[in-house]
Amino acid sequence: MAKPKILVVDDDPDLIRALRLRLRASNYEVTTATDGYTAVAAAQKERPALIILDLGLPVGDGFVVLDRLQSIDALSNIPVIVLSARDPQANEERALKAGAAAFFQKPADNDELMNVIRVSLSPGQQHPVPWPS
Amino acid sequence: MNQPTTSVLLIEDNPGDADLVRLRLVEGQAPVKVNCVNRLADGLASLSVETPSVVLLDLNLPDSRGAETFRKVIEHAPNVPIVVLSGQDDEVLAMKAVHQGVQDYLVKGNLSSKHLDRAIRYAVERQALVRALEMTQKRQLEFKNQFLSHVSHELRTPLTCIHQYVTLILDGLTGPVSPDQHDHLKTVLKSVNQLHAMIRDLLEATRAESGKMRVEPRCISIRELVRQTIAMMKPIADEKHISLETGMERNLPLVHADPDRVLEVLINLVDNAIKFTPQDGTVMLQSNVVEADADFVYVAVSDTGRGISPEAKSLIFERLYQDGDSVDNNRSGLGLGLFICREIVKLHQGRIWVSSERGQGSTFTFTLPIYSLAKLLTPIVAYEGKLRSSFVLVRVDLTPLTSPPRGNWKETWQQALEILRRCCYLDKDLVLPPMGVSGAAETFFVVASTDMERSGVMTSRIRGQLERIPELQSKCTLTISTTPVELPAATAEKTVQQQVQILADCVRDMIVQNMERKPFPAAKAPGSN
Repeated sequence: MAKPKILVVDDDPDLIRALRLRLRASNYEVTTATDGYTAVAAAQKERPALIILDLGLPVGDGFVVLDRLQSIDALSNIPVIVLSARDPQANEERALKAGAAAFFQKPADNDELMNVIRVSLSPGQQHPVPWPS
Repeated sequence: MNQPTTSVLLIEDNPGDADLVRLRLVEGQAPVKVNCVNRLADGLASLSVETPSVVLLDLNLPDSRGAETFRKVIEHAPNVPIVVLSGQDDEVLAMKAVHQGVQDYLVKGNLSSKHLDRAIRYAVERQALVRALEMTQKRQLEFKNQFLSHVSHELRTPLTCIHQYVTLILDGLTGPVSPDQHDHLKTVLKSVNQLHAMIRDLLEATRAESGKMRVEPRCISIRELVRQTIAMMKPIADEKHISLETGMERNLPLVHADPDRVLEVLINLVDNAIKFTPQDGTVMLQSNVVEADADFVYVAVSDTGRGISPEAKSLIFERLYQDGDSVDNNRSGLGLGLFICREIVKLHQGRIWVSSERGQGSTFTFTLPIYSLAKLLTPIVAYEGKLRSSFVLVRVDLTPLTSPPRGNWKETWQQALEILRRCCYLDKDLVLPPMGVSGAAETFFVVASTDMERSGVMTSRIRGQLERIPELQSKCTLTISTTPVELPAATAEKTVQQQVQILADCVRDMIVQNMERKPFPAAKAPGSN
């Protein structure tokens, strides 16, 4: 089976490198972007199964990226996990309303993050289980 | 030169005094417009419509006397300068007024127009200065808070990088690590976590100081929170050979508090207790109700450390306080932990204090308001003079399919709660406020005064209505279960209070069991067979 592809968006290349190592070790394929514009372009070209998104980004911050992804039919169903140093009290609700599937504040617990990635990629997530009758 | 007109609101009930003041004002150099009223109510009404340059205020009016008078004017128009017109014999009161925010006072007997003119100008200037000072202070506080929140954000970015690389190596993702290296990296990780905690505290304390800290009280079990605290803190205690013990009163009532925040307080207190207790000591968590303070649950964390000096006791909850006597000097923090604890407890209307004797250890105690089920249940048990005895406890579980659900369920839960309320009869059924730790799933309880047969109608109505929320349809499973509670037949000696108490105990047991995530048992009312 093909490895699920994850797009990691962060303006800190060092952090991207570390996340790439960790994700690859868990058998994910990783593609990256360091600004908002490239992130949307990469999402369109690569069609990742999941996106890890920072909020403070050059050329269109995380919220702009979320908006763009939501407005493109083919991309609006990709689960987005926000990973940001920003204060959750001011940003979590806003990010979730803008379409993010989860919000983690940096530094995040690796186990929790990997767990949410795994759950978000499980088949049930893409095809919601029908309402039990 | 054209001087701007000074508008004066004169609140004075003695016509002679009023005329005299008006005359002196008009005689003065500056152009002036006087509006004279003789009751406080009229003065306040006028202040609501227009803002004068100054208020000249007699303190003894037909509808208000003494200090009350200036307090009301200040409250009504905090930005308008006030000059009190005082009699010869109440200069003491006038001085008091100046201390409490009035700009100046004049003694009525010897008013000259020059005098009056100067007093008004002075009052206007003084008020402007005070306002400017307040503005500066406010701006400084805002700046400080913004600065701190910016700094804590900026500190997180490099910290995340350190954290990520250290854990990469520790997890063996970059190649084999020798036991020694593993040990060293664990030390690095410990420091990273400490730094992380400090950044969090810094932001939290800033929030508390600027009044932005929020709590979301729910109906919760202290026992459950103590259990969670012990589970989280045990590894740290074990490392130091400190035993964690509990002493919980049986039948502890539920409390009305924010579970996340209370957990934060407990962890902070236990962490401190471990920090200040030498090896082989004991940290004890206790909870009980004190008869003299029956609306609160008391929670205490005591240690067998060396205790706190009397001087430290009064300062220990202040920001940035550090006790130099920690047995673990390398684990001292920013001195914000207890300050944050105090602010959290205060937001719950509780109290926190410490008792300690040198060499005997210390005990930190805080109180949380009891959640009174009996009070809520009384109206549906005793209805129009009759005692009801048949009830059905309806439990509605909403479990998100995504786990762990970090999505924003709050709104959905709120919607569900409103729907439940609409499905109930106001005088017969009671939807209990949200319970337990929210997040993972939400459980609602309804106490319905009906029998099992008729409760079916209610549950199908609830199901039908809830299924209309699209969020729930696609992302949650819904389970509704019902349990009958038959109260013993009301007799002469059974008072309303007793009946209510039996039902409340039953409901409480059910909720507690739910919080402890045990399977839902068949509730059995004491006395019913």
